[in-house]
Amino acid sequence: MGEGKSEVLQGTLDLMVLKTLYAMGPLHGFGIARRIEQVSDGVLDLNEGTVYTALLRLQQRGWIASKWGTSENNRRARFYSITRRGAEQLERETENWERVAGVMERVLKLERQG
Amino acid sequence: MRILRMLWSRVKGQAAQGREDEAFDVEVREHIAMLEERYTAQGMSARQAVKAARRQFGNITALKERQRAQRGILSPTEWWRDVRFGLRMLAKRPASNAAVVLALALGIGMNSAVFTFVNGILLRPPQGVSQSRKMIELWLKRPKKTGPQGYLPFNYPDYAYFRDHAKSVEGLLAFDGDGVDVIWNHAGSGQNLNVVAASGNFFSLLGVNAAMGRTLSVDDDRIDNPRQVVVLSYACWKDKMGADPGILGRTLMLDGEAFTVVGVAPAGFTGLMVATEPDMWAPLTAQEKFTHDKTRLTSRDDSWLIVAGKMHSAGDRKSVQAEMHVLAKQLGLAHPEEDEVPDAEVYAMTLMPGPFRGYVFAFTGLLMIVFVLVLLIACTNAASLLLARATGRAREMATRVALGAGPARLVRQMLVESLMLAGLAGGAGVAIAWAMSRLLMELKPGNLPIALEIPIDWRVVLFTVAVSVATGVVFGLAPALRASAAEPARVLREGSPTAGRKKARILNVLVAAQMAMCVVLLAGASLCVRSLMNANAIDPGFDTRHIALADLDPGSLGYTPEKVKDFYTRLLERVQRLPDVTSASYAASLPLGTSRQVTTAGKLLGNDPDAVPADVFRMEPRLLETMGIPLLRGRDLTAKEADGDKPDAVVINEYLAKRLWPGEDPLGKHLVLRGEKTRSEVVGVVKNGKYRTLGEGSVAAVFRGTLPPARTLVVRAAGDEREVLNEVRREVPAVDPLMTTTMVQTIGDFMALPLFPARATGWLLGVSGILAVVMTTIGLFGVIAYVVSQRTHEIGLRMALGARRADVLKLVIGQGLRLTGIGLAIGLCAALGAARLLAPVLYGIGANDPATMAAVAVGLAAIALTACYLPARKAMRVDPSVALRCE
Repeated sequence: MGEGKSEVLQGTLDLMVLKTLYAMGPLHGFGIARRIEQVSDGVLDLNEGTVYTALLRLQQRGWIASKWGTSENNRRARFYSITRRGAEQLERETENWERVAGVMERVLKLERQG
Repeated sequence: MRILRMLWSRVKGQAAQGREDEAFDVEVREHIAMLEERYTAQGMSARQAVKAARRQFGNITALKERQRAQRGILSPTEWWRDVRFGLRMLAKRPASNAAVVLALALGIGMNSAVFTFVNGILLRPPQGVSQSRKMIELWLKRPKKTGPQGYLPFNYPDYAYFRDHAKSVEGLLAFDGDGVDVIWNHAGSGQNLNVVAASGNFFSLLGVNAAMGRTLSVDDDRIDNPRQVVVLSYACWKDKMGADPGILGRTLMLDGEAFTVVGVAPAGFTGLMVATEPDMWAPLTAQEKFTHDKTRLTSRDDSWLIVAGKMHSAGDRKSVQAEMHVLAKQLGLAHPEEDEVPDAEVYAMTLMPGPFRGYVFAFTGLLMIVFVLVLLIACTNAASLLLARATGRAREMATRVALGAGPARLVRQMLVESLMLAGLAGGAGVAIAWAMSRLLMELKPGNLPIALEIPIDWRVVLFTVAVSVATGVVFGLAPALRASAAEPARVLREGSPTAGRKKARILNVLVAAQMAMCVVLLAGASLCVRSLMNANAIDPGFDTRHIALADLDPGSLGYTPEKVKDFYTRLLERVQRLPDVTSASYAASLPLGTSRQVTTAGKLLGNDPDAVPADVFRMEPRLLETMGIPLLRGRDLTAKEADGDKPDAVVINEYLAKRLWPGEDPLGKHLVLRGEKTRSEVVGVVKNGKYRTLGEGSVAAVFRGTLPPARTLVVRAAGDEREVLNEVRREVPAVDPLMTTTMVQTIGDFMALPLFPARATGWLLGVSGILAVVMTTIGLFGVIAYVVSQRTHEIGLRMALGARRADVLKLVIGQGLRLTGIGLAIGLCAALGAARLLAPVLYGIGANDPATMAAVAVGLAAIALTACYLPARKAMRVDPSVALRCE
């Protein structure tokens, strides 16, 4: 684990994957990993394999769907896309995340009293 | 719902585990390859790139393991843990678990019993046939008719045409669907044997090899040179021929013709038709020797052959069907004189002829609905019990959630427990099914000439397992989902497992639903039992006591009419001289019997548009007296009138008299039976009776003479008709040693057949109804007792605040009765709808008989009141100080 890198918080990977698919349209696992790496500016320490665990979980909940296709450099790849229910879930999760983040922010900003 | 969806996708995932593994392998391989490509492009060496890609991707094996576990539902160790834990939980409460298992076992067992019949009759291929999957049945379908009447067996010329031209099958065999009863004369006496005429390729196509000697061959069955040979069934050889080791080559005299035994069929092989057990098979072309029918092999009007075939090993039913359509069309073109061209339809071979399967399915389907209702009541019982128990376990669940168990984990734990209960019930259910199917067979009238074999085979076991699993899921799901919704914070804080409002609501719904189902079953059962009582009380128009019946057919010995007449006259004289006999006579067919002659009776010769449909019963003098049919006016036939070959005198029933000559005296009037060239004089009028079914309305009947050689001897006994029966049986060979009775029975045996539909439904529904009431009572009692135990604290508080015991009683009973009321209301509506389905089998009672419905409602309400009273009494005795302190 390199220095200056943060571990991915449990549960947040799902949200990241959902948002990525929402923003980028259908992507394969490699593409999702690249996008998250790019956005996080290399801050996140992500075992790319765990993306697939998240993908399977999301699929089982019916939030994403998958289809086999051919990647840009002609490789066989499974393309994932967000479903309508997934988009709804993303909206809920986003709100929830913002609320929690807001609380965390306020808590962490508390000055030492007394 | 989300949990359900997860569960489902995991069940699906488990099924597709292997395929998914492969797909995931591809995905991972490609991902890593792309990573490598990227690193190489960034300037790494190939080796470095491989290493970096692996590092970036993480531990592949661990990932695959995780994916597998996430995908499916089966992780053996975890399941084993659940099972062990479940066993401990079951052992903790043996009594209530045993009750649940028993209730479920009864429900499952009844369904399995019905399925045993469906399997035995409809699904199981005939025994002893090799490659039964390749066997098909062929039926002719008349285009203008619907229902079973639209289907025809084959006549011989058509069968020969199909046999010689069909290319899509290895061969087509044919046999006489009814078989023929012949008299086997040996050692100076006669015995009845059932012979089935079968084509020469019958045994070879079915792949049935002889246990001794050989089976029939195509050479036996040559139309120009039929051989008089027979193959015995194993049972016939063993029971009727005394397992004679030298049977091969022996000559049997059948209906006076010599047939040589060439072989014995293997044990267990009873042919291809349900409920028949032929004694022997003879070549088709030799049929004339025992059917005495000279035109059967040439006539195109005589449909008597059931045709079956064996497909080529690579063949399928579709291609066979296609060819049969074509052959049927060609046959139609070859016979332009016939106005309808039947089509040929192909069915898979089972013991029930293809075209009739649908009707048997419909009947057993109805039975199954009843028993599924019983099972559902048992399920609601089990669900209520588990739900109530789950409250006691709320702390356990909350603790487990707090310790990190996910909802899926808890659902699984609960489901494992309910599946274990259901599994135990399923095991017991198979035993109950076995006992039940034996019992059902006992209901069958003894004179119904069928022999059913209803084994419990793998299909029955598979069915039972499926029903058990479904049952376990159905009654386990509600408690499981409740458990998964445990709120650890609240439960652990509050300490006492107070019932959530939601849970009480589920319980209430379950009890009301149970009550509703119980009403439907009980209403159906009461209607049937009452109709059974009515049916037993219906006056069939003759005396149903002290009558012995014996069927005789000297015609099958090839006797001349004179010899037949002589035999009957001498027999009657001897029987009438027996000490216990008050009177005796002959009839060709009896009212409510299985065979009848239908015609019309009018006043004009030729085509009379006002002719009335009527049943004809042929009789000798004194039959009316012997049967106890009251003669209202006029007189009986004389011996001379009965013996004449034209019906110059007839006796009619009141109804026909009223239809033909309303308000007039019918005596001395003349009527014309359809097809007769002369008029017949009405010499007597008898009381109306039942002629076809006990439930029928008014039917016209004509009693006339001219009997065929096949007759029933009707004997009225002064005392026990059974003794007379034995005496009659002894008298027959005394008159003619070659003769024997085809069937002897008392009038009670005879009446079992017309009473069968009402008796069978009455019994089945009666038993189901009683079960439903017992289970519902237990269910209601359990729920009310549970609610009381949950509310002990509240009741104590109320009493401390001044509530009297009567108020508490009202409170508890009021709750029970409210649920009962809702259930009764829904149930009565459903029962009114369901009763219509029963209407065809009900006698003398309307399908929505208000008295029955009211009685059911009042009875159930009373039972419900009792079920509530016991827990209510307990609630009344709550000591406020104790109740409040224990909190």
